Amino acid sequence: MTSASARSPEEIDSISPEEFAKLCEFFYRRTGIVFSEKKRYFVVRRVQERIATTRSSSFRDYFGLLRFQASGEEFQQLVNLLTVNETYFFREDYQFEALTRGMLPELASARKPGDRLKIWSLPCSTGEEPYSIAMQVLENWPQCDQYEIQIFASDIDSRVLGDAVRGVYGERSLQRVGPALRAKYFEKIKADEYRLRDEIRESVDFSTVNVIDRVQMAAFRGFDVIFCRNLLIYFDDLGRRETVETLFECLAPGGFICLGHSENMSRMSSLFRPRKFADTIVHQKPTDAE
Amino acid sequence: MGLVKAVRIDSSGERPVQPSEPLDLSMRLAALDSPDAAERRRAVRDLAAEPDAVPALCARLIEERNLSVRTALFTTLIRLRSPAVVAGLLPLLRLDDANLRNEAIDALQDMPEEVGPFVETLLGDHDSDVRILAIQLLSTLAHPDAPRWLVGVVDTDSHVNVCAAATDCLAEVGGPEAIGPLRRLARRFAEERFVAFAVDMAIRRIEGR
Ligand SMILES: C[S@@+](CC[C@H](N)C(=O)[O-])C[C@H]1O[C@@H](n2cnc3c(N)ncnc32)[C@H](O)[C@@H]1O
Repeated sequence: MTSASARSPEEIDSISPEEFAKLCEFFYRRTGIVFSEKKRYFVVRRVQERIATTRSSSFRDYFGLLRFQASGEEFQQLVNLLTVNETYFFREDYQFEALTRGMLPELASARKPGDRLKIWSLPCSTGEEPYSIAMQVLENWPQCDQYEIQIFASDIDSRVLGDAVRGVYGERSLQRVGPALRAKYFEKIKADEYRLRDEIRESVDFSTVNVIDRVQMAAFRGFDVIFCRNLLIYFDDLGRRETVETLFECLAPGGFICLGHSENMSRMSSLFRPRKFADTIVHQKPTDAE
Repeated sequence: MGLVKAVRIDSSGERPVQPSEPLDLSMRLAALDSPDAAERRRAVRDLAAEPDAVPALCARLIEERNLSVRTALFTTLIRLRSPAVVAGLLPLLRLDDANLRNEAIDALQDMPEEVGPFVETLLGDHDSDVRILAIQLLSTLAHPDAPRWLVGVVDTDSHVNVCAAATDCLAEVGGPEAIGPLRRLARRFAEERFVAFAVDMAIRRIEGR
């Protein structure tokens, strides 16, 4: 099935338009991610790389491996190469303000001290988002000590999750973290390398999750706040609708969902109530919703 | 208290060994009538790859009062897009519930290819309200024939409000070929001043003035 000698990606036959379309369709069905024609070079280049590494004899051979391999390992490898993982600490931080000034106080007002509050960062990429949430809560929500706050973080890309667990970041990620927070929560290990302190690192649970896999998603229920930012931009309209409906099911009644600033959808209103906190709109699942 | 280590959620154990358990379709359809909204919603979403469920899903849409279930019904039907889905959604245009009508139009706009073959029948409907909704549908339907259908309305429809709706729509999507028919329309309804006004506006928009 596979040829013995390794070839470099340049030696791999180029991928025909039909093959590209087939691959995109397959990737879309499995991940929700849509590749436009503009992304063609990006995709083809990485697929050729995988064809070379797996020593597949042709695109067809590789595509078979991708689809039918029982372990799903090759699919995971390709996912890791084709996702866009750009993120940084305190990105769109007005939503974190909204969390500690509006959402958490409101949620807490309906709970008893000692009760649990569950927050989910999906997708979390290399971890900057859930760790920002952790720091924001510790620094800016005085009632924090009265509740049990759990932060979950998930992504489809297993490689970024490894980085997230390691918790080592460079200047590029940390641009928006001021000196006081750096001193308190990070340890400088090298020029341009900062390690997040264990206190924060260990407060987040990371897991591999594909948001369009409803069987996987069924295990995640009863969340009070979900951050789902800069994911839906990679999906088509229908995929966005379906994802938002899935997240609706993951929320507890009265729970909140925060989307990226360019991701709000006209159809949100049939499921959620718009709520304004700290100058930003978030979406609340009605308290009487099942 | 404060931040506590979250307990790992295991999503892997839930997967049935057979990816799609061959649960009988009739059993899955029966769940559409469950008294529990969350269960109905789940049933609807589970049918997103089941073309045979279209008639039952469309029937449910007419009964369904819960908004989240209704939203899921539309999403599932858009995923299943087919001539059968279009045929199942069109009767909603005759209902009194304006929200439901508008949501049906939104959903139909997401399946232009499938809607195409139904347009002429819809524009020939005996009920002028349905014809007006058909024009609303055409206004943002990504179908190359939309301007031609609208010109047909302007040329032949006997109802002044239907023609006026088509005129407004042509102002947005029409090309130079609509100008002649629009002028004829103004003559046909010469006694209705608002028609002359709408035609004038539309022609100006088309000519880019
Ligand atoms: C641009 S990052 C966003 C990270 C962070 N939320 C932020 O706003 O900075 C997008 C992430 O979405 C993940 N992703 C793409 N498709 C996914 C899917 N179907 N399920 C879960 N995560 C997905 C990618 O792996 C990537 O890490």
